[in-house]
Amino acid sequence: MWPQFSLNLFSKKIIGTILLGSCFFSHSFAQVPVSPPAKLTPIQDNAIQTPASVEYPGLIQTFEKIIQVDADKFNNRSKDLVKNGRTFTTSTSVTGLDLEPDFLNSIILHSDSSYIKLASMDKCRFYDSIITDLLKSAEGKIQNVLVTYVDGKGKRQSSIMARKDFLTNVVNLDCPLTRTLIDQFQLKNLDKTLKDVSFDIPSGREQCQTVHLNWLGSPKTPYLCQIHEYLDQAKKGLGDPADLSQRKAVASVIDKKLSQMQRDYLDNICKHLDDEELFCAEFLNVSMWTKIAGGLEDRIYAQGICSFVSGTVEPSDAQLRQCLARMKKETDLCLYQSSKNRGLSPQMNCETLSLALNYSTMRSDYLDCPSQSDQLGVTNLSRILLNITKGSVKEFQGPCSNISTGEVFDFNEKFDNDESWKLQACYDDPLNEKEVCSKIFFGSYHNSPHSYPVVVASALRQMRGAEQGITCKMVDSREFSPLKMEYKSGCVIIYEANKCFVSQCKHKILYNDRPIDFIKIKNHVTLDYFPTSVQGERFSQQYLLTHDFKRTGKALSNLTNVINFFKRSRSGLIHGTGCMEELLPTFMKSQSFGQCTPVPFIIDGLIRENDNVALVTRTALDSLQAPRLVSWSNVFSAVRTYQRYHPLRLWTLYGLD
Amino acid sequence: MVWISFLLGLITAVSAAELPKFLTKHSIDSIRYITMDGRYAYVKKSPGVLGMVSSFRSVDFLSSAATSDFTVRGSRTKKRLVIEVIPNVHGEYDLYKKNKIMTLEIGNTVAKEIGLGVNAKLHLVDEWISFYNPIDKELSIKNIITEKTYLITLQAKMNPYFRPEVEMVTSDTILYTDLNEQGYTALMSYNLLTQKSSIIYRASQTATRMELCSSSAAIGVGEFPYEGVERGSKIMQISQPNGSNLAGLTTIYTSQDQDLGNMICTTKGYYFVKTMGVERKLQVKNTEAVFVDLAGKVEAKTSLKHVNQLIEMDGRILVPDRGDYYVLEGRSNLSDDILKVVPPKNEELPLEL
Repeated sequence: MWPQFSLNLFSKKIIGTILLGSCFFSHSFAQVPVSPPAKLTPIQDNAIQTPASVEYPGLIQTFEKIIQVDADKFNNRSKDLVKNGRTFTTSTSVTGLDLEPDFLNSIILHSDSSYIKLASMDKCRFYDSIITDLLKSAEGKIQNVLVTYVDGKGKRQSSIMARKDFLTNVVNLDCPLTRTLIDQFQLKNLDKTLKDVSFDIPSGREQCQTVHLNWLGSPKTPYLCQIHEYLDQAKKGLGDPADLSQRKAVASVIDKKLSQMQRDYLDNICKHLDDEELFCAEFLNVSMWTKIAGGLEDRIYAQGICSFVSGTVEPSDAQLRQCLARMKKETDLCLYQSSKNRGLSPQMNCETLSLALNYSTMRSDYLDCPSQSDQLGVTNLSRILLNITKGSVKEFQGPCSNISTGEVFDFNEKFDNDESWKLQACYDDPLNEKEVCSKIFFGSYHNSPHSYPVVVASALRQMRGAEQGITCKMVDSREFSPLKMEYKSGCVIIYEANKCFVSQCKHKILYNDRPIDFIKIKNHVTLDYFPTSVQGERFSQQYLLTHDFKRTGKALSNLTNVINFFKRSRSGLIHGTGCMEELLPTFMKSQSFGQCTPVPFIIDGLIRENDNVALVTRTALDSLQAPRLVSWSNVFSAVRTYQRYHPLRLWTLYGLD
Repeated sequence: MVWISFLLGLITAVSAAELPKFLTKHSIDSIRYITMDGRYAYVKKSPGVLGMVSSFRSVDFLSSAATSDFTVRGSRTKKRLVIEVIPNVHGEYDLYKKNKIMTLEIGNTVAKEIGLGVNAKLHLVDEWISFYNPIDKELSIKNIITEKTYLITLQAKMNPYFRPEVEMVTSDTILYTDLNEQGYTALMSYNLLTQKSSIIYRASQTATRMELCSSSAAIGVGEFPYEGVERGSKIMQISQPNGSNLAGLTTIYTSQDQDLGNMICTTKGYYFVKTMGVERKLQVKNTEAVFVDLAGKVEAKTSLKHVNQLIEMDGRILVPDRGDYYVLEGRSNLSDDILKVVPPKNEELPLEL
């Protein structure tokens, strides 16, 4: 049988291994139990014989010759062992059980280099790779295992062991987990097993290396790759034709249990277990748009762009597919997105955006409408919080910047810092002759008592005798119609979407179709993102993050710090504040001396190309789904310049673990 | 790696290693405006306090909340200054924030309130001022003397943070930039008498921005790409801005490079930030300050590799560099002590004198 890898791969990787095979693997391969050298019996001596004459006219013929030599060896050896009654059935009276070096060589010669790498991780991975038919020998699927052992007299003997006996007498004893794994991967348990498998999409080189290592070390990998091989063979009609139809039927059942993303993922990892570069290239070099089309990534990254391109609010599957295909060719297609989630525009072109997204690690599976935020610190902080907590985005009313506001209000309330939240709704209570004020944020977020509709409803109960169960609803002025019956009674807060932000919101309140004007809005949301005074340090968001929320915050003052941070921290983010004029100089022109427009930002990835480094950066102005590549030079200049104008001369670039 | 080099033959490179640093007696961080001769300096003297320091006196003349900061901008007429009081700079990161806009005559300390907005700019012998309301997308043109105000509503739909560039050509003609719903930027002309706009020049491709600046000889119009967008750059000028032919744009410079722009007009040509090379995949740029003369000859003025902005202050051209400033044109050392001439008669004198 021909090996399943290409000759090219063979010539590059394996030939050297084979040439060194016998001496190397008998002692060190795969941590397979190695017994002390024992004297070979005559049978073993006889078996190691090569044909009398060997010609080497060219590489292919050489390769054929090696295969032939190996096949002859294996057959002769097996026959000799059977003939001499060296069939191994029990391991109770033997020690130093080991695989024959020639058998190992045969496996190396006939197996895919990817699975050889997997098998080399440890003894149990090796055994599992045999059981799952990932490793092959001269006979194809391994039916017989050639072993050596030390008998009761201290002599090393050779023996042949049937696959079934090998499982019972060797694998189950040495690797007790294997029995569980075999059970987990039974068809009836497959759904549950697959649910527990993490198909992590890596972002960034370091993270990808970790993911690859995790797959190599996972005991489930041989079994998952067995599924991949099984499906592949059934699809291609390979293997024994006698049971092909049956295998195809089973494959069809398994196929339905896997998503397209999982199938593609397994194809990638099983083919590239021995080549981290190629495994990572599938994630980091393949266009983001291809990944979205293949179901590997969330469509949210393309939805806003395709909505703008197709002119529809929610592009259909067909429109999205068509749009994704265009995005790979028309790089300008990504510059703008629909107004719903538009941020700083134009965004980066499709090619650069795809690259940035491939290396981005931050959670971005929701829309947060940055253009509807007039407190960029709130936008930035909520992005960090939702990335850390991984909590679900809760139900909201009003502009979608409410998600940010609600999250940050909750965060400050949780750590007793809601006193710093100055935005209030107030009214005069004539009965008690006092002004009643409540802290608020515009819109509603999981019915927080500080949601503006909840506060307005409470005020209506107090001042207008509204019923106890009254609720108010935030309605976009573009959707409001005074003729609709639903707005004729009860409480409605009509807001102008393009003028409704975190700190201010142009709106009017209707209660039973009559305007309400006794509620006044006071103050703004003013939160120190980084401390601006020594006394006020305790109330800054950075302090809450690092002290109360217990995140490690480390100042990063040079590129080496940044590179090391991303090497060390797989899911860490860098956040900071810098002058917009230096960070994105084409978006903000310096009009005067000492001008600095502070803007908070998050860096969640790093790309190196030769001597150049680009940082995957989202300012709080940018759409969450549209990061930018920014040079370290610009980031440094932005933070350095801001430092000069900061009241405490603070360096405002921190890595958050 | 693809390094895009540009017309090397046309560029005269000069060694910029010797660029003088901007030196003054004041801390660079506190300066908001200083005249070419250093006679008048407007400095942030303490949190929320703007003062004027001259050869003869130091006066705190503007007080705001301690969390406020100030920007001070002059004009080529050098008659007035425009001050923006920025509220809560560090507690409220907000690009929609409206600043308090004030003007005063150079050397004086009596500031006059103008309105609320951003990007305030003086025009036409400093008798007019323009500023922008980013929430309502309204451009205000106000006569400082008569206080008559005109409002122009912009489209600016494609970028919520768009800010227009403005130049006033005559007392009834305004040039400004706008952005349409397809992402094309345009140079518009607005007639204050008829209150009608017309397009002077429309970009041929999306995702570029236009800059305007003026000298006594011409109005410069720059078209530059935004970051992450592969577009070329162009500088044009309207040579006789006082005439009626605003459409007569003469091209001074074109390039396929993604120049940063941030252009400054002089009578002899234009300073701007040029992209000397770009690592295309990562969009990492090597940028320098250059000068292009009216014949189109480009001369590199720096060798800093990462120039982002250029600032003009009372005729002095400065290059900000990570908190420091280098001087491209004008006097750089204002830290020496030399006797000054007697101040003009119209300068206010402090009471104690």
